[in-house]
Amino acid sequence: MSRSGNTFDAIVIGAGHNGLVAAARLTRAGRRVLVLEARDAAGGASATSEIVPGYAAPAIAHLVDAFPKRIERALKLARHGLRYAARDIPSVALDPDGGHVLLPRNRREFSRFAKRLPRDAEAYRDYADELHTQAALIAPLLGDMPPDLREPEALRKFFRRLIWRGEISGGSALQNLMRRLPESIGDRLDADFESPLLKGAIAFDATLGGAEGPYAPGTSFRAVWREALRTQGQGLRQIAGGPGALIQVLIEIVSAGGGELRLNAAVARVFIENGVAAGIELLDGTLLRAPLVLSAINPRVTLLELAGAQCVETHQALELSRAPRPGTTAKLNLALERAPLFTGLAAELHGARLLIAPSLQEVDEAAAACNEGRLTSAPVLELHMPSVADPALAPEGHHILSVIVHSAPHEVEGGWPMQREGFVQKVVRRIASFAPGIEEAMIAGEILTPPDIELKYGLAGGDWHQGDLRLDRLLAFRPAPGFGRYETPLAGLYLCGAGSHPGGGVTGLPGWIAAGAAIDKMEAGR
Amino acid sequence: MTPDSFPRPEEQQSETLHEEAVPVNSVDPADERAEVDPSLFEEESGEPPFARAVRTTPLHLETAAESRTNLWTAWNGYTVPQIFTDLGDEYRALRGAAALMDLSPLVKYRISGRDALAYLERLCAVPVGSLEVDRLRHVIFCEGSGMVLGDGLLFRLAADDYRLVTEETHLAWLIDSAEGFRVRVEDVSATLAVLALQGPLSAFLLAELGCDDIETLDPFAARWISIGGMPVYASRSGATGDLGYELWCDAEDAPHVWRTLLGKGATFGLRPAGFALRELARLEAGHPRAGVDYLSAFAAIDPADALPPAAIWPGFTIAPSKGLFNGGSALRAMHGTEPARRLVRLAVGGLEPARFASVSLNGEPAGLATTTGFSPALGANIALAVLANGAVGAAGLSVLAERREGLSVVETRLPAQVLLGPAFSHRRRLAVPAGLRP
Repeated sequence: MSRSGNTFDAIVIGAGHNGLVAAARLTRAGRRVLVLEARDAAGGASATSEIVPGYAAPAIAHLVDAFPKRIERALKLARHGLRYAARDIPSVALDPDGGHVLLPRNRREFSRFAKRLPRDAEAYRDYADELHTQAALIAPLLGDMPPDLREPEALRKFFRRLIWRGEISGGSALQNLMRRLPESIGDRLDADFESPLLKGAIAFDATLGGAEGPYAPGTSFRAVWREALRTQGQGLRQIAGGPGALIQVLIEIVSAGGGELRLNAAVARVFIENGVAAGIELLDGTLLRAPLVLSAINPRVTLLELAGAQCVETHQALELSRAPRPGTTAKLNLALERAPLFTGLAAELHGARLLIAPSLQEVDEAAAACNEGRLTSAPVLELHMPSVADPALAPEGHHILSVIVHSAPHEVEGGWPMQREGFVQKVVRRIASFAPGIEEAMIAGEILTPPDIELKYGLAGGDWHQGDLRLDRLLAFRPAPGFGRYETPLAGLYLCGAGSHPGGGVTGLPGWIAAGAAIDKMEAGR
Repeated sequence: MTPDSFPRPEEQQSETLHEEAVPVNSVDPADERAEVDPSLFEEESGEPPFARAVRTTPLHLETAAESRTNLWTAWNGYTVPQIFTDLGDEYRALRGAAALMDLSPLVKYRISGRDALAYLERLCAVPVGSLEVDRLRHVIFCEGSGMVLGDGLLFRLAADDYRLVTEETHLAWLIDSAEGFRVRVEDVSATLAVLALQGPLSAFLLAELGCDDIETLDPFAARWISIGGMPVYASRSGATGDLGYELWCDAEDAPHVWRTLLGKGATFGLRPAGFALRELARLEAGHPRAGVDYLSAFAAIDPADALPPAAIWPGFTIAPSKGLFNGGSALRAMHGTEPARRLVRLAVGGLEPARFASVSLNGEPAGLATTTGFSPALGANIALAVLANGAVGAAGLSVLAERREGLSVVETRLPAQVLLGPAFSHRRRLAVPAGLRP
């Protein structure tokens, strides 16, 4: 193949972490890769952005909990400069009365937890054990390509393995998993737990990123899925320099392997020649050729807008475009001139992941309000202060507070331009009820509502996960039935973003597995 | 709640009326994607939405005036004449001179827009890219499973303007398929009347009415002509196995066109013909009808009733030039496997019209006749039948026929055989130029 300026071995659309992981894997396999990013900066949902000069905040995602060690090793991320500022970050459920609960990670923490919530300690241990067993049961499904739905033999093998693993891990593991599939996390917590604080925290984790409330069927399994995803990684970690540092490392690896990243290169369409993907055309008309195109952006946009509806059959197009629920998560980044004082929170826990979800009812009400397009007066939040473990993010003594707002509607009554200020105030007031005086410490802030995230970071619908992590949209059904194996009906075009198995989160897995599938397919075709 | 605090029904109603959102007509003229005229779905006042309306075609007054039997039938919800005078007379007019039929109940869609061709290329299982302007072709469209949803005639009216004519309604599927295409799909059935002028004298009659060069119109081609001063889009098409034209005109113009044709043609033997003759002629020509001879894949409750295209049209193959289309991947995966059942043409012994349905092979059930009739051309009962694949080539097929004698019903087993070609097909149908004299 001629190596002229506009011909490549592969083109990756979207320089988020999944796109770059895919590009890095392709470069490692000796392919000449071009990564295209529509924005003026790489990173997608895992970027570091400056609130004001000198204050670098994680733009959207702020922690990494499922980035697999095998990807880290295979791409030699550490050698290229990936450092963690904090490992095994604890999670704390904040109590309005100051009796915060640290979700235990070890025996020592558990004994303290048992003293704080004596009546829930046993239940929590059982819950965590069961979650762990079930996560171990399905975890192996996450790191690999889902089975081909059209091949009965592959499906048979898939289920045989699942049952076999269930048998090994004890007779009732599989039955329990079956029971959890349709259950709601709310019902389960109401049955097993007493402490509203604990129930709120667990329900928050199980529903984060989705539009459903804790009483929606299937949310119990979401907790299992998240736990399983977590087992792919190495615990909750914070990247030094923010998530953008991971992106920088990946870009370095891609360019060290002869790959190229082009910013401000919005793709107009996938270029199709003789019925197969043969490259892409940029908005400015530039034609870039490659026999392999991987798209890390939203699957629906990729197939129906970039490749064109003539590349999928009607039933597939309907599946892809069916009820795309927009994102329901907002982000608030605050620059603080001093550390906020959370009432009753131990100093060593200021760098922890702080959950403001004091009760199941509040999580439920926030979701109900979100579904009605209202703003709740008591938003449920996840807080993290990255500048505690990584002081270089802000000037000395100053801090960054990164806030994930769960259940923020994509479309709000009265419209976002009208509601923005009120929304920020509600969130800040909510934080201030746990950390009095935080308003005075604020020197700058950045609010990203779901439409802002869509506009600024190009995530369709402002959805972090490119499609809810619902049971009917997982494994071979992610992003839609028939698309679970990264291939598309258009030969040469692959999906490699969070919309594909195993889904959202800073995991790199969709990009990693998709690139592997594309390489295998090309080598088999030779 | 006490009875006092219970709101009175009137109050309740007025409240809900106030709360009801005012429907906003949010049609964006710049958006070329599929949309339907909302007035199509506006409910008539006082009628429940599930009420079935009796509809008449634009030619109803004309056909009612011609009817000598008062025999009517329902076709696609429209009232159409079954027989005007006598089926035999109408048949002789069709095969010996010409017959005029009202086909307005056919479902007609207009498909237009920048992506119309790409849209149709994906919709249809046959190649449509080579279709020129003012040409038409028979198209088949399938569901994702490769089973047939329907068939019809596709006209290319202009570069980006098509007309799809089908036996059954497919609007939901057409609109679903428009997702991602800049295309507009409209049901134009109500505004477009169709007259079929069929028979050996049909070209001659049009020439007599001043349509010069009508004989030069190729089969499966169409052009604008004028009949009695009315603009008519004439296509050389029809399902009678003979020379014939279908005339597409505005609903308001249709009665005048009908009167002009009959006024001029009656002296040459032109007769109006009803639905019974259309069915008989179609059966003789061997054309299956959707909903009767095969079921749309969506209507087939028993999945075995859904058929792939090759089971209905034996010549169907996927053109090598064809890219991705609806049902394509399933059909390509099916390639090389025989369909379990096939639609075939049957000729049944016996010299008088008989009623029959079940087809047997050596006494074992082998299939069902879907349309039956007595073909004067062949002098035999003929039928379209869905048979098990194994029975198609086998000897020993028979049908159980019923014959009425007075009040009694006589059952006889009549031998049947699969016809390789249609019972009636005249070379006039495809002759160029079309014969002006029979």
